[in-house]
Order: sequence, then structure tokens, then C-alpha cells
Amino acid sequence: MTLAIQTQGLQYRASREFAIENLSLAVPAGALYGFLGPNGCGKTTTIRLLLGRLRPDAGTITLLGHAIPEALPAALARTGVIPDRPHLHRYLTVQESLDFHRAFFTEWDTVWATELLASFRLRPGQKAGGLSKGETAKLMLLLALCQKPDLLILDEPMDGLDPVVRRDVLAALLEYVSARGATVLVSSHLVHELERFCDWIGVMDRGRLVVELPMSEFRGGNKRLRVSSAQSLDMTNAPFKVMARDRSAGTVETWMVRGWLPEMTNWFQRDGVMLREVADLDLEDGFVELLRAFRTSDT
Amino acid sequence: MFADLDPKSPIPLYEQIAVRVKAAVSTGEFRAGDLLPSVRELAGRHRINPATVTQAYRALEVEGFVELRQGAGTFVKSVPTETRARERGTQARRLVRDMLANAARYGLSRQELRDAIRHELDGGTR
Repeated sequence: MTLAIQTQGLQYRASREFAIENLSLAVPAGALYGFLGPNGCGKTTTIRLLLGRLRPDAGTITLLGHAIPEALPAALARTGVIPDRPHLHRYLTVQESLDFHRAFFTEWDTVWATELLASFRLRPGQKAGGLSKGETAKLMLLLALCQKPDLLILDEPMDGLDPVVRRDVLAALLEYVSARGATVLVSSHLVHELERFCDWIGVMDRGRLVVELPMSEFRGGNKRLRVSSAQSLDMTNAPFKVMARDRSAGTVETWMVRGWLPEMTNWFQRDGVMLREVADLDLEDGFVELLRAFRTSDT
Repeated sequence: MFADLDPKSPIPLYEQIAVRVKAAVSTGEFRAGDLLPSVRELAGRHRINPATVTQAYRALEVEGFVELRQGAGTFVKSVPTETRARERGTQARRLVRDMLANAARYGLSRQELRDAIRHELDGGTR
């Protein structure tokens, strides 16, 4: 498997309280990789490390086969970025922002830029400093896309946007990915918006990677079970991991489990116990339970 | 037609797309020669992974519902009446399976279900 992004044993101490610890990411080429984690978990710091804006204390980073920071220019020439804070120059107009940005990229797509300006309803003469939050997001995406990158690194690109703008932005992004087959790493603390289109997820918490796996595996292995008369069950040899167990609803308990396989229903075939239901956890529930389990084992 | 795709459903998105296309073909909403939306268009409009759309179209091709013409797009094939009938049967069974799963969740017996179905088929007023 070719990797578009790879880090190994990354260490970075940001402050006395916070550090990225032993972070090893592997983002396959062509993936739409959802980079999840609560606020302050280290997503933005990791992205800054990837883009050479911070230097790691230890560990290696490779972007599109280029070692970072040694071959940073070669990597950045093929990488479109939306940083956590707008990087536009306030005093430039929309058109001047485009002209400035495209000077750095040989493959700039003028035709598409014009089309996107129109479909995003951005006025070329408007000053970047006077754009609304939604317009700013659209302009940043336009700049990132029209440079024709093979890799897009987007830090909370849809944070705080209204649903209409969010759709426009996502549609443009996914159309580009369809046409180009680019790899996308998109960070978010809003889980549900990634659920539709991401095929890989990496979850961070407290500066560390909790899990990284294909979305289908994440969804397939995380289940909500409803079990009746489970009080007497001996859990020591359970073939799956119970992340949470809710006994508040009478004789029927609700369990959140990881590592589920269909044949495990057999495990419940014993005195009086009945497995009533096996349902997929959606990404958000799975994410919440995963973090809860991670934090419990962490303390 | 794809507006109600549900990423939270246990049914994978690619299968949801394929089922909707097959339903449209079996009811005649889609006819032979009709062009399906492009991968790019569908992925963009419904904010889903392009690979998911491609997977759905490939599955439909394997099942003989569509034809992928390189560079031109994905076209609905002429589907024999028996296949259409079979597809409608599959859909009916899928509905019943969902109903049975829900019934199990509520602890309803088969007899209670049968009574309820008969009641609804007979006009179903209260």
C-alpha cells in the first residue's frame, strides 16, 4: 500500500502540559481520511508538524514520498492546505489573492478557478479582509483546489459554517477528488459530517493516536448489543471488548462493544441469556465510547 | 432519488445506492439507455466518497442492471421482465426482514404480527 502521509514515532513537546507522543500515522494514497479528536487533542499541532511549520523533537515524517522537513518545498508544491486560521492577506482582493497564490504553483487551473469563483458567488473585487466566514472558507478551498494538489490537508475546513456553505465546500472537494484521485486528510471534531464520505479514520486524544483503521472496519466491529438476563454472565472470557454497559433499563442491558464478529452471537447461547439485538454504532457513538474507554484505561 | 441515503444505516452506502437504482429500474422509473449521474456528480451532490459510487455502479454492472461505457458514463441496460419481477420480490422480502427485526426488538410474537398485517391489508382503520 502506497502511503500519502506517514509519520513514525513522532514526538513534540508543545508545553509543559501538552505533548504529541509516539505518533505513527499511515494515510493510504487515495484515502479520504477523517482525522478526529476532541478540541485540544493535538490535531492542529500534528498538522503543523506534517506541513513543516513545527519541527518534531523525534520521529520521521514523509509526505507524498518526501521527507519532511528536508524536502518540504517538493511536498508543498503538491499539497493543498486549509490551515486552522485563515492565511489570506486582508488587504488583497479575491482576484489578487488568486494571482498571488497561483504564482507558487505550476499546474494552476485558471478555467476552473473562474468557474468556482462564479459557483461560490465570490466577487473578484472584494477585499479578503471583508469576506464573511463562509466566503473565506470558500476562497481558501478554491485556492487549495486550483493548484491541482495530489494531497489535501484540511484543518477543520467546515468549522462554524452554515449548512449551505458546508455543502458547497464539500461538493467542490469531492468533485475534485473524483476527477483527480487525490488523497485528503480532513480534521474535525464534528464526527457526523465525516461519516458520509471518509473511508479511513484516525482518532487522536491527549496527543496520542487512539485508533487508525478503514471506516468499514470501524463500523463493522463496533456494535450496540441488547442483552437480557445478562447478570449471571461471566465476562472474563468474552471474545469482544465491552466499552460500556448500561443496566439502567430493567432486565435488558445495552452494551457497546468493540471487535465484534458475527459468529460471536454463539457466545451468548447459555442459561437464560438472550442476545436480542446487534446494531451498528454510528460513527459518533463509536467515537464517544472509544474515547471513554481510552481515557479509562489511560488513568 | 438518492436524497435519503443514510450513512448511519447498517446497510453500506454503496448498497443503498445500488438498491435505489434497481428499484427505479424495476418500477420503470429508469429505462434502458438512460444515463445515470456521473460518479463525480453524485459524489459531489450527496457528499459521499467517489469510491462508494464507483463500487455501487460496479455492483450494478455485475448484476446486469447497468453498463459502464468508458468515457461516456453509466447506462441502464435493458432488463428482462423476470429480473425486474425478481427484484421486486427481493425488495418486498427486504421490507419484511426489516419489519421482523423491528418486531423482535419490541418483543412482538408472530401471531401479533400476522394479525397486524391482516388488519392493515384490510384497510387498517384503528
